[in-house]
Amino acid sequence: MKNYRSIFWDKILPRVQKPTRYLGNEINSANKDHQSASVKIALAFPDLYEIGMSHLGLKILYHIVNRRREWVAERVFMPDADLEKIMRDESFPLCSLETVTPLGSFDLVGFTLQYELSYATIIQMLDLSGIPLYSAERGENDPLIVGGGPGAYNPEPIADFFDFFIIGDAEEALPRVLEIFEGAESASRKEKLILLAEVDGVYVPAFYREKYDKGRYLGTHPISEDSPAKVSRAVVADLEAADYPTDFIVPYGGIVHDRLVLELFRGCTRGCRFCQAGIIYRPVRERSPESLLELAKRMVSSTGYEEIALSSLSSGDYGSIEQLVEELGREMASLGVSLSLPSLRLDSFSSELAQQVQRVRKSGLTFAPEAGTQRLRDVINKNITEEDLLKAAADAFSAGWTSVKLYFMVGLPTETDEDLRGIADLARKVVRVYRQAGGKGRPRITVSTSVFVPKAHTPFQWVGQIPQDEIVRRLELLRNEIRGSGLQFQWPDAETSMLESALARGGRRLAPVIATATALGAKLDGWGEHFSFERWRQAFADHDLDIFQCAGLSFEEDEALPWDHLDSGVTKRFLLREFKRGLAGKVTEDCRHNCLGCGMAVLLEQEEKKGDCRHATMDSLR
Amino acid sequence: MRLWIHFVKDAPVRFLSHLDLMRAWQRAIRRARLPVLYSAGFNPHPKMSFASALPVGVISDAEYLDIQFERTLSDIELECLAATVPQGMTIVSQRTVPPETPALMSLVFASEWRVPLSQSEQLAAAEHISLLLASESVPVLRRGKKGDKTVDIRPLVLRLEITDSNELFMLLCSGGDGGVKPREILNLLRLEHKEFCLCKTGAYLKAGDFLQSPDNVVLKGKEVMFNAEKDCYKL
Repeated sequence: MKNYRSIFWDKILPRVQKPTRYLGNEINSANKDHQSASVKIALAFPDLYEIGMSHLGLKILYHIVNRRREWVAERVFMPDADLEKIMRDESFPLCSLETVTPLGSFDLVGFTLQYELSYATIIQMLDLSGIPLYSAERGENDPLIVGGGPGAYNPEPIADFFDFFIIGDAEEALPRVLEIFEGAESASRKEKLILLAEVDGVYVPAFYREKYDKGRYLGTHPISEDSPAKVSRAVVADLEAADYPTDFIVPYGGIVHDRLVLELFRGCTRGCRFCQAGIIYRPVRERSPESLLELAKRMVSSTGYEEIALSSLSSGDYGSIEQLVEELGREMASLGVSLSLPSLRLDSFSSELAQQVQRVRKSGLTFAPEAGTQRLRDVINKNITEEDLLKAAADAFSAGWTSVKLYFMVGLPTETDEDLRGIADLARKVVRVYRQAGGKGRPRITVSTSVFVPKAHTPFQWVGQIPQDEIVRRLELLRNEIRGSGLQFQWPDAETSMLESALARGGRRLAPVIATATALGAKLDGWGEHFSFERWRQAFADHDLDIFQCAGLSFEEDEALPWDHLDSGVTKRFLLREFKRGLAGKVTEDCRHNCLGCGMAVLLEQEEKKGDCRHATMDSLR
Repeated sequence: MRLWIHFVKDAPVRFLSHLDLMRAWQRAIRRARLPVLYSAGFNPHPKMSFASALPVGVISDAEYLDIQFERTLSDIELECLAATVPQGMTIVSQRTVPPETPALMSLVFASEWRVPLSQSEQLAAAEHISLLLASESVPVLRRGKKGDKTVDIRPLVLRLEITDSNELFMLLCSGGDGGVKPREILNLLRLEHKEFCLCKTGAYLKAGDFLQSPDNVVLKGKEVMFNAEKDCYKL
């Protein structure tokens, strides 16, 4: 066997930029002997090291696999353009970081599906590995390719490239998957897939087929009676008992989020109607303050990091956030570690919290009203008032902040020009609050926008994205409105949102489109210097599809959706009810007070999980 | 307590930049829970610096960290530090230094470099070496942000030879403008392709008429003095 390691280190690394991305020997990385391993998985993040290493899910899975002595998990990321060129020119395969082992030598390669813009990169990584791109083309000696993460809730556009998906919490499903591999060494691929399909949350796309009647899509159904009509997600019922990594890998070079991450809780009860995370991470499951404190101390001592971020979908909703931040802040300050609290809803932002988190260092502050008028905020169920925003801004200014970012979405269902003017109005009012709070000079209020992308498994899954010329018109209107002292407008990247929309709610007919785009050179589409809208438009056209039409696709209420066979635990009936309430401008209350019957409790009961949804949320009320 | 820590930068960490290496040390010190001293001021930073910057990709047996702690460290604490540095950053030794000693960075005068050469490379290089040593001045063009300038590097080359163990041996004045980079010599010897075979094997301070390693010099107050019992180079 060729010694890939010495070739890579001696002949390739000296020629690349930022070689520290590819060393694989960082503190807390697991460098294990493959000879004595019973199962080996490469955990692939389809983006650059700096992005992938910032992702919590990867750290959790790396930890739970490697804590078992006989299991091996190694990392792999998309190489940057310079290394990719060397690899292609000199036929060097894509290898894992830790032991420089070609991906083809692993039993499994797991890709995380965090955003649609990474799909082309997945194909590039398979191609660089020499692994056949389509599941149907792979042989007995090829690894099984598995995908997980939020994208697995509608994986149909990439289903043909994958052997199976894990839907839901992989820390629950992945160990069971690896146990099956251990026990079925001599089984064929097909036999393995049959066994895997038994695991909660495992979806084998080859066991399902799309049905059409005269061009009309009639849903995706099991081919044989052995497969369930709906695949339900894996759930970690008790987060407190779930293993959490304290031995974060410590990168040498700076990465995007170069800090420890402490997950306070998973899930969110707020019910914003555009938000996929708010649906697919249900129910709310908290860690106790005691174990968070203990985890934080262990993380600092095993890594030497100087900053720790408290993470969740909405940290202000943690049962006892003030007390936690107070205690944790004190403990961390004594270790010289600073605390950051990046996901605060503006209605839970207080000057006390602000002062706690900036005890050591003051970071940027973003508030997200999402929409410019109360009417539209009611449509999306954001449940935040203008008063909330102005109060939060006043608190921030009196705590010493001078620059605040306001985040909004453009193109939300029912949006009118009035709503856009409302955005400018709000921004101007924030500037006024700055003056009233006695702020010196000029504040820096940045209005940051993105174009709304409708997602599967949300109340807005039935609506399409607004047409491109309309997007441009609305953004120009907004730009003209947001003028004045202290105000800045950030023009969003509308073309990448368009591609996201076209891929997010698509079906299996998009697989050849993605393969074509990749053949045309698509990769790392989240990076401006790599993204080409024209390339994607061409790829859609090559398969007789129109990218604009795919992005703007709306579904009828009774129409089959490409992800109907994948069960998030939240029923379609609930989503439809929320959709209609949204269009009528009716808000729905936070479900931690009253169960709204979204279906999650039923799923937990079916899976005989300890405790049910309501208990989980009641617990967190404490 | 002020320490000079002598460490190796070996293959596993050879590609770390100056900044990466500093960050790796800071995190190792934090893992070992050692009370490093911070500077006063608005943005406190730990009082630590390297003796010199090493080109990225180069291996070194002679790296030094000049670092101050709030108090005297125990032997066990130092062993904990040695146990938690990344693989390839091996601590060789450390010595206590009087607080008033100037920064190690300002004291380093010369560095020693070695490059293994094949027989044919030795033959070709030998000619260039004799030529260089015989010249009275060797002007080298340096491109900088403020424009180009020519520097005579001949007086900065203290020794240059091929050893019995088939290596190119270089003893070069180091440090910014007052020094010469090993790469510049490799270029002059037509050995530019050997840059990643370079190994730094020594760092030297000037003590009277002698060059001696930071491990061996005698330190008294602000003075750096020659230690007659240890190895040295005569200037």
